[in-house]
Amino acid sequence: MSWNLFIWFALGAVLCWAVGAFFAWKGRSALVYSFTLAGLGIFFAFIVGMWISLERPPLRTMGETRLWYSLFLPLAGLIVYSRWRYKWILSFSVVLSAVFICVNLFKPGIHSKALMPALQSPWFAPHVIVYMFSYAILGAATLMAIYMLFFKRMAGDVEMNITDNLAYVGLAFLTIGMLFGALWAKEAWGHYWAWDPKETWAAVTWLCYLAYIHFRKAKPAEWRTACWMLLFAFACLQLCWWGINYLPSAQGRSVHTYNMK
Amino acid sequence: MWSKPWKMTEGFLVGGGLLFVGLMLQLTIGPIDWSLFAAPVNYAVLALLLMLIIAMFLLRRKIYAFEWMMHYSAAVPCLCYAAGLTILMGVTVQTPHGGIPWLSQMLQFWPFVLIWTWMVLISGLATINHLLRWQWKEIPFIANHLGLFLAITCATLGNADLQKLQMTVFKESPEWRALDEDGGIHELDLAIELHRFSMDLYEDGTPKRFASDVSLYTQDGKHVSGTVEVNKPLKINGWKIYQYGYDVQLGPESKYSVFLLVRDPWLPAVYAGIFLMLAGALCLMLFMAPKTKKT
Repeated sequence: MSWNLFIWFALGAVLCWAVGAFFAWKGRSALVYSFTLAGLGIFFAFIVGMWISLERPPLRTMGETRLWYSLFLPLAGLIVYSRWRYKWILSFSVVLSAVFICVNLFKPGIHSKALMPALQSPWFAPHVIVYMFSYAILGAATLMAIYMLFFKRMAGDVEMNITDNLAYVGLAFLTIGMLFGALWAKEAWGHYWAWDPKETWAAVTWLCYLAYIHFRKAKPAEWRTACWMLLFAFACLQLCWWGINYLPSAQGRSVHTYNMK
Repeated sequence: MWSKPWKMTEGFLVGGGLLFVGLMLQLTIGPIDWSLFAAPVNYAVLALLLMLIIAMFLLRRKIYAFEWMMHYSAAVPCLCYAAGLTILMGVTVQTPHGGIPWLSQMLQFWPFVLIWTWMVLISGLATINHLLRWQWKEIPFIANHLGLFLAITCATLGNADLQKLQMTVFKESPEWRALDEDGGIHELDLAIELHRFSMDLYEDGTPKRFASDVSLYTQDGKHVSGTVEVNKPLKINGWKIYQYGYDVQLGPESKYSVFLLVRDPWLPAVYAGIFLMLAGALCLMLFMAPKTKKT
């Protein structure tokens, strides 16, 4: 599989997702599932193709992690749709996914076969894939918060119920991704936690989502503050994911820099 | 304010008080010297901490602050302060010496440590509270809070007992001396003999794999042969031996191999915490998330 083919797979997938999202508004759930799953299949086929041709999991560069994020967003949208029949979430997640696909089209990473020895571990794929899935679920929670704060300007029980569920599941995957990272770090670097800038920001992100779920228990009626907490937490998440590459305090100090090459 | 029940406002004031006390401590006795916690001090501190938490729990009806610490209105401000100080750590360069006064050595900064200690106390109290009203459905809560308590407490207290040494071994010349981070030489009860250093390269010349065939000898008479490779350390007598480096000038022809030797006696306790948290994370998703409400 060559990167040059990405645009065709991406177009096919986004088209399927868009049609699926359209049928969500029309209440045709069988078509929603068929088209969204078809899109997921097309996109995933590209990732598998890259995996085979690169002879390593495509998870090393920033562009490669964005690939997984673009895949998991519509999946998160579909999960929310299947549980709550919430019709607009698919449209939102498809648009966000398309944004990340465009970033990859306009700013493609360099996809060499090289995988440095530190990354050659059975922990590599689960650590990053679990994190990307959690980022996508928490992205969906952020979309919910934006919708309530700026579009609907109110929060119903169902909206907060969806948001809380996304936050719980996202936080669970965030925790698993972080702890897999700790177990891997012990095997690769000799210690499970070293306060590397990436780890520091992972801790910040984790604490912010913990604060959110505790706040929801403390003050269930204050949805506005809760939504702002989600936006803040997601900003920290972005800093952790790619923002630290631009953060002066983290320059040249992180061992999590494989994606820069 | 300060009338029962305390709300989050009181929580933010308590956190502010901790920051103030922390700053005072930082000004008077200076940064925390974690090496003072080497065994047996850390075991004593852990025992004291556990007794303190039990005492706080027993006194919860007499002293309202202890009861309040088990409420969400204490947890939220505590988490906010912890996130805030950790953000401060994330935006300042962390270095062992120099940098921005106080902030560049955040792990020795009293306010940071006090806030995290507050979090440890809260998770400890919450654990006891839920253990004592035992029901099967309390397991997710207990796994998450006990896991966090164990992982943070034991990682922090155990750090002073952590030994991290670097050993350079030349071919066919067994080595038992290693250097610590300050360049001090340590004679170990363990010797490493390097038989072969091997390295594969990618087409562009970057290393694909490097490994050392070694024999390990311990003072108590053990003899183990094996291969040390990145991501595949060897284990013997509590030591983990990592492939760390080689002669970068010679690359595949390197005459020596550099190993990192790590001994961390508190690791099992930290891992117990990590595995509890992993179980807790699964529970968070499966049992703790609110029940689905339909439109």
